[in-house]
Amino acid sequence: MNPLAIQTQSISVELGLRQVLSNVSINIQSAKWTNIVGPNGAGKSTLLKAMAGLIPIKGEVFYPTIKALSPTLKDKARHISWLGQNQMGADDLSVYDVAMLGRIPHRGWLGSAGEEDRSAVESALKVTQSWDWRDRFLKDLSGGERQRALLARALAVKADILLMDEPLSNLDPPHQVDWLEIVKSLIGQGKTVVSVLHEISMALRSDELIVMNCGQIKHQGSCAAPQTHQAVERVFENKIQISRINEQWISLPRMISDI
Amino acid sequence: MKKITGQFIIASIAVFISNLTYAHDVLDQRKNNLPLLATPSSIISLLPSITEAICSLGRCDKIIGVDDYSNYPAQIKSVKHVGSAMAPNLELIVSLKPDLIVMSNNPRVSRRLEQLGMKVFVIDTVNHSDVHRLFEKLDEIFKTNEGQRVWQSMNASIDQAADSLPKSAQQLRVYFEVSTGPYAAGESSFIGETLTRLGVKNIVPKSLGDFPKLNPEFVVKQNPDLIIVSDNRISDLTQRPGWGQMSAIRNQHVCTLTPEQSDIVVRPGPRMGEGAQIIAQCILNKGRSP
Amino acid sequence: MQKSLKAPAQALLLLGIALTTMTIGVAIGSSGFDNLLNALNDPVALKIIMDIRLPRTLGAWLAGALLGLSGALAQGLFRNPLADPYLLGSASGASLGVACLLVTLGVSANSSSWIFKLSLSGAAFLGAILAVSLTLILSRGVQHTLRLLLAGIIVGVVLGALTSLTIMLDPHIIQTMQSFLLGTTSFIDWDSVSLMGLVWIICTALTWTFSRALDALSLGESTANSLGLNLPPVRAGLIALLALATGTAVSQTGLIAFVGLASPHLVRSIIKVTHNWLLLLSSLMGGVLLLIADLAAKWLIAPQELPVGPITAVLGGLYLLRLMLSLNMNQEGL
Repeated sequence: MNPLAIQTQSISVELGLRQVLSNVSINIQSAKWTNIVGPNGAGKSTLLKAMAGLIPIKGEVFYPTIKALSPTLKDKARHISWLGQNQMGADDLSVYDVAMLGRIPHRGWLGSAGEEDRSAVESALKVTQSWDWRDRFLKDLSGGERQRALLARALAVKADILLMDEPLSNLDPPHQVDWLEIVKSLIGQGKTVVSVLHEISMALRSDELIVMNCGQIKHQGSCAAPQTHQAVERVFENKIQISRINEQWISLPRMISDI
Repeated sequence: MKKITGQFIIASIAVFISNLTYAHDVLDQRKNNLPLLATPSSIISLLPSITEAICSLGRCDKIIGVDDYSNYPAQIKSVKHVGSAMAPNLELIVSLKPDLIVMSNNPRVSRRLEQLGMKVFVIDTVNHSDVHRLFEKLDEIFKTNEGQRVWQSMNASIDQAADSLPKSAQQLRVYFEVSTGPYAAGESSFIGETLTRLGVKNIVPKSLGDFPKLNPEFVVKQNPDLIIVSDNRISDLTQRPGWGQMSAIRNQHVCTLTPEQSDIVVRPGPRMGEGAQIIAQCILNKGRSP
Repeated sequence: MQKSLKAPAQALLLLGIALTTMTIGVAIGSSGFDNLLNALNDPVALKIIMDIRLPRTLGAWLAGALLGLSGALAQGLFRNPLADPYLLGSASGASLGVACLLVTLGVSANSSSWIFKLSLSGAAFLGAILAVSLTLILSRGVQHTLRLLLAGIIVGVVLGALTSLTIMLDPHIIQTMQSFLLGTTSFIDWDSVSLMGLVWIICTALTWTFSRALDALSLGESTANSLGLNLPPVRAGLIALLALATGTAVSQTGLIAFVGLASPHLVRSIIKVTHNWLLLLSSLMGGVLLLIADLAAKWLIAPQELPVGPITAVLGGLYLLRLMLSLNMNQEGL
């Protein structure tokens, strides 16, 4: 087993009166792609945010691969890159400027961009196919183009751990595949990727699957394991069935009329 | 004989010259000491009552600038208007190079004027004794006794107006409305004091202040015997809830002052005597014992 | 990359317009144009220009610059294009401060106590700062942006009501209040200019250091946090700068609407830039806007003067109307 990248210890999160996460303890292996799946309201985004250290929690989150004993905000910023859902704003910034924001953990809040920053941004933009229109402004982009620009921003951080919430939203199939390629390459470089995907078939391509419901972990295991598939089907009220088609695990709808 | 006449002439000249050049200090209401080298010969007044007071001392020709509302006496109509007391035209005032500016209390304006090198004399006139003080101060400024004379004859005028009224007038309860709001003249204001000297009662007691803004209901409850307003306000009186039913309104015990009369009555200056007589006339005509 | 050359050019352009307008402003007064030419010979005309027109014109630019800067700051901080500098209650606080001072002065008309030393400007500034502090206390710190905004609205409304009540106590102050509430440059002297100049330099320099933080904030608070932005101290710092800049402007010129709101929009309609340039350009744009409005205020019904507030309100309203109409053209069904 690889060293752990993230370790949560009995974390709970309350939003108002609602218990969004209850006593969640999980381990995320480094250099692996882990996916979190579950129905709406299961607490997936909250878990991801908790792992990113962005919300107040009860319990603890550890980052064994970050050298510092108790990492500062800056340490975390350099080692963890977070891409959230439904990101509005930054309409007046160009794609290049948005991507360059990803270098803030390394550049600091003042000072000009160095060679390292520029090359990081350039490779992030090229890998997301956004280099050619890097001078266009975010408000002029389509949903998919915008998502790719934001992804470039997350990649520019060159963090060891990437946490991405619904990274495929607005992306058409070719660009979804591009994203898969990016993740594969990141894992190959020894980076850790944790994503929340509601596209089950995409999620089943990862190394590990975390199945959630009602703020709790129902199952964590390999995407090939039948127990994992059963856990997924159960959590979706058995309205899906996971089958092997063309050497891939695919999630198909299971309708009452099919039985 | 010739010697005495000669000495007398020299003495007079000496006194005359010393009066022109003797530096004297005058204290304004801010306790600011205003050194005046000689009697000022170019004055700007920023209040109509102050303008009238200065003119009543025979120093009208010394006024080179007035506020927009000063309109009496006739000879100042040709004098330059320098804006309102709240927002005076600073550039114009500076270009006129006045020796002295006389105005009522407005720290923002007086401070700015003084910054620009102007001498500013501040005096507020809310009641009769304030007006008396105005004349005293003007006498100090101009080194004269005219002010005292004007004050005394004005007072005599007020007494005369009071004497012209029958004893029955002392039963009258009067409401004097100064402006829309409604703002009334309280007992402690100069108008209120005039009413008191005329022997009538004011429905607005001292406790409410000089020129309080009243709740119109208060007036209805007080049910005055006589109402005094200026001309343009008469129409909206009847529209106030409950006012149409007041006995003073129904029986037309209402005096409406013309704009000229209004200017006289509402200014705490040398024409307060005339103002008293206008009010007395109004009481005689429209007032009626309950 | 070519846009990074445009931004400095825009800045120079705005400065050029400002200088031109200032020259016109100094030349025009209630006495007309000729003063400028004869000034060197006529000591009175020179005095008018040096002691009255020059400080007023510079003051108008500085007040506008402070408001423009504050507007860009507020819109960046709250990520809301409709934010204006008065969002945290500073306007109502300033009004209340002025009203309280006037009532106290009216009551103690003959005393030369420290109250007299505390001028209208001092009272306005104090009121603005206290109002923002009250907002911070009400929202229990800078943790939540939404709570801050709501607290700001509450404080604004309550202090506004208190101001009205104070006016009832002594209705005579209403005329002075009017001139403050409508905004005017007629009382600006060299002290005001020095004060506003100093504050402008400090605020511009300090907000510039926050410019990358503001860029990061535009992606959302969570993303900014994930990039290493420590939100509470940054918010606190930005709010302090906002209060300082706005309070200073309001204390010298009264309440001037729309300059803070419209300046960043006007800049963005000409050029798209990141905050390091947006803050400066908004400031310069605000300066130009208020200069032009002040010119109109002095000139339209000369020799009388209009208060400058209604003019900026009309200009601002027209601009927003144009904005709304152009939005309608671009999107159907609105």
